[in-house]
Amino acid sequence: MNQQTFESLYAGRWDQFAQWLERSAAARKQEAQSQGMVSFDMPARYRELCQHLALARDRQYSADLIERLSGLALGGHQVLYGARSRSLDRARNFLRAGFPRVVRREWRFVWLAIAVFFGPLAVITCAIPSHPDFAYVVLPADVIDSAQQMYGGEAKALGRKRAADTDVGMFGFYIFNNVRIGFQTFASGLLFGVGALFYLIFNGVFIGAFTGYIVDAGLAANFFSFTAGHSAFELLAICLSGTAGLKLGYALIAPGRLTRMAALRGAAAEAIPLVIGVAGMLFIAAGIEAFWSPRTFVAPIIKYAIGIAMWCLLGVYFLFAGRSHGS
Amino acid sequence: MRHERIAVGKFAVNARMPWHMLDTEREVPTPEGIELNLRLAGPVPRALAWTADLLLRAAAFAALSVPLRALGEVGSGIMLILWFALEWFYPTVCEVWFGGATPGKKALGLMVLQADGTPVRLTASLIRNLLRGVDFLPFAYGFGLLSMLVNRDFQRLGDIAADTVVAYRESARKHGSIPEAAPLPPSKPLTLREQRLVLDLAARSPLLTIERARELAGLIPSVTGTQQPESALTRLLSIANYLIGRRT
Repeated sequence: MNQQTFESLYAGRWDQFAQWLERSAAARKQEAQSQGMVSFDMPARYRELCQHLALARDRQYSADLIERLSGLALGGHQVLYGARSRSLDRARNFLRAGFPRVVRREWRFVWLAIAVFFGPLAVITCAIPSHPDFAYVVLPADVIDSAQQMYGGEAKALGRKRAADTDVGMFGFYIFNNVRIGFQTFASGLLFGVGALFYLIFNGVFIGAFTGYIVDAGLAANFFSFTAGHSAFELLAICLSGTAGLKLGYALIAPGRLTRMAALRGAAAEAIPLVIGVAGMLFIAAGIEAFWSPRTFVAPIIKYAIGIAMWCLLGVYFLFAGRSHGS
Repeated sequence: MRHERIAVGKFAVNARMPWHMLDTEREVPTPEGIELNLRLAGPVPRALAWTADLLLRAAAFAALSVPLRALGEVGSGIMLILWFALEWFYPTVCEVWFGGATPGKKALGLMVLQADGTPVRLTASLIRNLLRGVDFLPFAYGFGLLSMLVNRDFQRLGDIAADTVVAYRESARKHGSIPEAAPLPPSKPLTLREQRLVLDLAARSPLLTIERARELAGLIPSVTGTQQPESALTRLLSIANYLIGRRT
């Protein structure tokens, strides 16, 4: 069959296919719903088009025709293989079972991150009272200066450097700052895990030094009543973002039987649920830190109780949620 | 794209030798047994698209910050959240729900695709945009550029981890349609490869200067049967018309 005949036989069908592709996805969906069925047998038409493209290539038809057909095939390929559900069900399943399952699956990296973060934190916190000078090595001067305003006895709202700071303003700042740190910790794991380790250790040392300094300065009651509520979400989220970063780095260092590229792709896909969960946890932490933690009219004992309850809640969630097969 | 050399005039080359050219076109095999062509975008158009996005985001942020500043401290909190969202979620939202491209990419005719040619997925888009910070290191997308120059698919580090590529939406039109001429059968049977060469040259001829088209047509006297460039081109077009099946 020569090209002219081929084109005159099928040009009509190609035009139909092109028109169908041009209509936006929304219009196609609406059309299918209003008629109660898909009026256009897309998979069959796509296979037919692929066959025509293969024939045209095999018979060495003109490049013009082949380009047109392969353009149509690319469009069809995207519609056919790009279709996937984006339902809310997935989000709910992720929250109920997916996230804690991923955390349990990655338990090695989780414990490593916890050790690397909480280890320095605990050591430094305990060491500061006997070596108070070390706090000045780690902490910038303005952080030390502001400690008194943030956690002093006369503060109306705890954790604020300036009296004018509002809840919403601080909420914005916590999201901007903390979620960024979470994302950076994950991303820097790509540098063979060094970046993630650095952020974990650095934050552990920094938070430890600040806590030690506060305790040493006699502001412990205000400080702990401020941090109790959001500490579980914030500190565990930092560890989990480190977990995700360490996973990326480990895939590059020890790819196993895969190429490094393939190992990285696999690790990134497996780590991304952690990062999504981390972002969610840090949003919650920012909400608590901005709207609940600064309140001074709540008795510290209640804040401690709620803080401990949050730790238990998250512990139970990560250990037990999504273990049953029904979900 | 794989090119095979065929006997062209006196420059006869081994026709069986596969010839891999440096090309930005990638062939993606599909389950239907065909190959799709993706035309990948290099660092320069992607940098331009990024710059356009940066300007757009800066403009949006500046425009929204005027009313927000009036709200005082509350407004500054909202501004920080806005800045955060524009920095981290703007690319992903655009790529996943608005046709695979940020406005800057759209302006340059680019889009993000999975390496298998399907639309970019949410997880892949998150990966490539979260890892953007590492591509930015040590400054001004240094690692990203290095990675793109080394990688055969112009992938930056985020693209490698996410298995995505940035491609042009439209394939460049390298060929026009074959100009009509009185069809003429070739003087001797042509192999498929020779037929393909004749058709490609005939289709390209309207895009070339007439002198260049004649010069090229004159290189294949074995097909056109003449050394004369003017008549060679006419003959070539006639043979091409015959080959695609036009008849008087």
